[in-house]
Amino acid sequence: MDAYYWRLFATGLAFTIFGAGGLVLGAIVLPAQRLLPGDALRRRARARRTVQLGMRTFVDLMRMLGLLTYELHGFERLGRDGQLIIANHPSLIDVVFLLAFVPGASCVVKSALWKNPVTRSGALGAAYVSNAPTEAMVMGAVEALRSGQSVIIFPEGTRTTPGRPMQLRRGAAAIALQGARALTPVFIRCTPATLSKNEPWYRIPRRRVRVSLHVGPDIDLAPFRASGPAPFASRALNEHLLGVFCAELGFDVFE
Amino acid sequence: MTYSSEQILDLVKEALAELFRLDPARVTLEAHLADDLGIDSIDAVDLLYRVERLTGLKIGAEDFRGVRTVGDLVEAIARLPQAER
Repeated sequence: MDAYYWRLFATGLAFTIFGAGGLVLGAIVLPAQRLLPGDALRRRARARRTVQLGMRTFVDLMRMLGLLTYELHGFERLGRDGQLIIANHPSLIDVVFLLAFVPGASCVVKSALWKNPVTRSGALGAAYVSNAPTEAMVMGAVEALRSGQSVIIFPEGTRTTPGRPMQLRRGAAAIALQGARALTPVFIRCTPATLSKNEPWYRIPRRRVRVSLHVGPDIDLAPFRASGPAPFASRALNEHLLGVFCAELGFDVFE
Repeated sequence: MTYSSEQILDLVKEALAELFRLDPARVTLEAHLADDLGIDSIDAVDLLYRVERLTGLKIGAEDFRGVRTVGDLVEAIARLPQAER
């Protein structure tokens, strides 16, 4: 059972710490940072660093509590100017890992984060891109890429539903074609499955979780851009991306 | 130069024909972008970028709010500041 009761306790503890840490960052640290001097770019960089540090601390905490082990491959290729980073989304903690290990990046996140007073300061301060409305998401991400930022997006739009075929929304493909200088996939495996969609926190897996994040080779956008009008190209690219993710992940996204 | 509504409609027709291979005859002011022309919100962004490219106007996502029909879109574009041309 791999220290089941300890991990159950530690999972509850980790959620509590995440909530408390989020509260401290969101209600105190990030709002206070917004008062510090500096132009918009510096403020944004500061807020992103704070979020990154928070996520990084949380990853270390989960590892030290024995909840998970993780491995990263190829992360030195992330965070380039105008790079769109696309990742599959098997678990709630994927975004924690990407924000923890891709310095300075923007991220497409749920619009609900702007409505919650605690998460709002982070979303605003770090100038992340809201996923709704769709037009604003695509244009916001394109603008971020064109201005030289790297942007993280989960093209499934929501966590993968275990046992169902993977589906990609077209937004990421459209964003890539309009704005990205490089398009780079990250393949995330989380075994056994945990914190996937519709799964309560206390239903913990029987084994300690292993998270691996592999950065794949860049996907060449030129042939798609040359292939025809944007709406056709984005559909073709989206099909291609689905093939890339399925080929790499096969059926072991969820073991 | 500034664009009249007729010119903007022509530009939109041109963009729709190029991007979606839509017959310009189907592109009337009353045509509903999603229901009649099959343009979803991601297609709509490609359309806006194309119109930007054709006109040199800068269009933001907020300008597109509430746009449902071709007529709404023409109006939204006509409302944009055209000074920089």
